[in-house]
Amino acid sequence: MIASPLHLLDCSLVSDGGAALILTSAERARDFPHPPVYMLGVGEGHSHEHISQARNLTTSAAKEAGERAYAMAGLEPKDIDVAELYDCFTPVVVIELEDLGFCPKGEGGRFVEGGRIELGGELPVNTHGGMMSHCHPGHPGSMFSVTEAVFQLRGTCGPRQVKDANIAFVHAQGGIMSTHCSMILGKEVG
Amino acid sequence: MATPREKALPAPTGETQPFWEGCRNHELRIQQCSACGQYQFYPRLYCTACMSEQVEWVRASGRGTVLSFTVVYRPVTKAFAEDVPYVVALVTLEEGPQLMSNIIECDPEQVAIGMPVESVFEDWSEDIAVLKFRPVLA
Repeated sequence: MIASPLHLLDCSLVSDGGAALILTSAERARDFPHPPVYMLGVGEGHSHEHISQARNLTTSAAKEAGERAYAMAGLEPKDIDVAELYDCFTPVVVIELEDLGFCPKGEGGRFVEGGRIELGGELPVNTHGGMMSHCHPGHPGSMFSVTEAVFQLRGTCGPRQVKDANIAFVHAQGGIMSTHCSMILGKEVG
Repeated sequence: MATPREKALPAPTGETQPFWEGCRNHELRIQQCSACGQYQFYPRLYCTACMSEQVEWVRASGRGTVLSFTVVYRPVTKAFAEDVPYVVALVTLEEGPQLMSNIIECDPEQVAIGMPVESVFEDWSEDIAVLKFRPVLA
């Protein structure tokens, strides 16, 4: 036990690491050697700095971030093929699945049962292993969620490729459930 | 118990000095807005409800309830090695504000959400006493 109810494997890895990406216009990217993916929607939500000031411990500002990203993209949770979610600790994934509209509040635990978020499941989550199995270098942690979403949409993921991945959802956080950013990426221009 | 000296001592700032003075006297001080009446903690220069700068320091009852908690089994530093397992809790004060502290003077297994608690102070140095909470005995 680390801090109840979290055991060792509920906690993310501590590691070094970094990732980079190139952001440009769709037009400029057209003749690049690798196929681009398109940013269809993005949204932020911020609720507190210190966890003692959190307005709610079970619903986070991921809700607003997600709603804004869906609205910009004109998409809904059911349209998402693969999700790369911030997973500093296991309960965070469950809260995010609820706040981002993949299941009702309080249903996240049941939602992840039975392989639904595994490869081949209805909504594969953190196909690169996430922060708990891949790496968590601190601030750059979610950059790997972005690069993984890009690789999934390009179809270059090999054995961990999600079949027919056309729309990917990325969610990142900072602080202690404090600051949230959601992004929806697509294989095609929206 | 690790001696308190091995733990980093809190450093009062201009905004927090009245709180730490209260702790030294074993009383819990929070802020109240004299424009709208709202209580707030942690200390700030203005009221988070109405943005008034007329925030005053008042003595809180020291009573509250446990909003949520965890029991820490792996110490964050060597200074806490002999304290584990210890309880880190969010406490909702009777006046409304929430803060983070430890629940002491009880078995960690006995702590529960909604448990009534009251403030208690640990003297860590001549100038610094640290706010903690303990269960209110029925």
